[in-house]
Amino acid sequence: MKQSIFNRYYEALLDTDRDQAIALLSGALDNGATPEEIVFEVVTPAIERMSRDLTKDLATTLSQHFIAAQISEEAIEMLLPLFSVAPEIRGSVVIGTSAGDFHGLGKKIVRGCLRAKMFTVVDLGVNVPAERFVDQAVTLGASIIAISAMMVHTALGADGALKVRQLLQQRGLESRIKILVGGAPFRFDQNLYRSVAADAWAENGIEATRVITELIKEVAPQ
Amino acid sequence: MNSMERIGLLMEGKLPDRVPVICNLLEQGAAELGMSLEEYYSRGEHVAEAQLRMQRKYGYDNLWGFFYVARDAEMLGCRKIIFAKDGPPNVGAMTIRSPADIEALTVPEDVGATEPFQELRNCIRILKAEQGGRCPVLGSVVASFSLPPMLMGMDKWLQLLLTGPRSLCRELLEKCSDFCIRHIRALRQAGVDMIAYSNPVASATFLTLPQFRELALPWIRREFEAVGTEGMVYFNGGGVITSQIGLIREQTGVGAFYLNPLDDIVEAKRIVDGKALVAGVINDIKLISWDNAAIEKDVARIMAAGAPGGGFLFGTLVMPLQIPEEKIKVMLEAAFRHGRYPNNATLPAR
Repeated sequence: MKQSIFNRYYEALLDTDRDQAIALLSGALDNGATPEEIVFEVVTPAIERMSRDLTKDLATTLSQHFIAAQISEEAIEMLLPLFSVAPEIRGSVVIGTSAGDFHGLGKKIVRGCLRAKMFTVVDLGVNVPAERFVDQAVTLGASIIAISAMMVHTALGADGALKVRQLLQQRGLESRIKILVGGAPFRFDQNLYRSVAADAWAENGIEATRVITELIKEVAPQ
Repeated sequence: MNSMERIGLLMEGKLPDRVPVICNLLEQGAAELGMSLEEYYSRGEHVAEAQLRMQRKYGYDNLWGFFYVARDAEMLGCRKIIFAKDGPPNVGAMTIRSPADIEALTVPEDVGATEPFQELRNCIRILKAEQGGRCPVLGSVVASFSLPPMLMGMDKWLQLLLTGPRSLCRELLEKCSDFCIRHIRALRQAGVDMIAYSNPVASATFLTLPQFRELALPWIRREFEAVGTEGMVYFNGGGVITSQIGLIREQTGVGAFYLNPLDDIVEAKRIVDGKALVAGVINDIKLISWDNAAIEKDVARIMAAGAPGGGFLFGTLVMPLQIPEEKIKVMLEAAFRHGRYPNNATLPAR
């Protein structure tokens, strides 16, 4: 039953058919599937499958990523309160766009995908000063600061990831907090993340979940 | 041979002396005149003066009668633009925040009469007076399908597009399409020789081919049916378009495609089969980090892929301010050299 729902749900994501995807999840719940089964056997695996398909060069588009992230987030919000036991959280991430950058799509996709994979995500919005990234990461005990930048000057600028790195160094936080960057400039130059002193970059929101999962393993226990 | 003659020959299906080179230097103009970006973009004379100086300095084949993309949103009522010190201006306040704002959105009857167009017109007038007939003056419009992100934000636009309500989405696209059509007419009236029709959100980076066919293509067709294809260039705007070129060509008849750096030049040329021009584009963000040898190598690769058989231009995409002037020169010199056609070379009759 779950496999059939999964297949139809994944198809709905690829068709960017939000209503059909949500209807499938609601229908499964009505038919006796537990919230845990729906999340761990349908919603989360769908994000993982999209990630695997990407690595196999089965290109998916930004509109598909957007819908997948949005539905995942909606589903998690709907189903988590119904869990019999609180799920194990895989890590905490603060996310936002670089100072001076007002393009919020990429981070929104990353946020939805991460929530589907049981990460706690705090979205700081757009045009986020470096100090706020670091302060919030410390306050929330986050291991990852994820910075999205859609323009070259906000990706490379002194007030973006470079400044976050500087602050982490100054405060002795580099072993506890890692920096992930993403956005168009990093896609066009895949070494650019090194120029901004980030620990890693992700090509898209789906890929970000995989990279963050790896990155979090490098973080020293707090 | 001047730039206009070079591109003219290309459009007639003949070989010019070399592959024409389109270089998108925009914000660089402010540094050229030693002023802030805000001051620079406040007057059409500034932009025209810098465009003329940069074209003289580097010797490429175009002048931009264009300020920045967010100018389109200003013509549609956006009142706040944020000027960075080191990058293009951005929309600072969304014009559409609710469904009621879509209903209330008014498209100016005469886009050319809007206040943000006046300085643009001045710029184009000066460029034409100085270089008209010798170097093509290019304008740019954002296609209807890619305009809503600047009015309401990209996520809100994708949400409306993909999940509806459909009637509201249609109403917004109709207004954006009317604006795009009137904008093209205003630019032509102002005198531009060619217009880049920029449509990133319709690209294959955003949409699957069936989505493109269903959601975006009808609006592209609507706009080209209204304004014709003369001087129009289908511009990727930041997304890949190779897989869409055949459909766009078939449905609109547009005669030039400006690719994305990640597009396949050889495949694009195969698809258009000599019936449209193709601009192959360098990954100019890499110009920041590449050394001279790497720049030379990539220019040679692009020319080898596109130049044989003619119908080809070399182009840049975003040209960030962070690219050193020296590297711009290296790229252009390599493009002039690698794009040269042998004397008296002709194309076989088709």
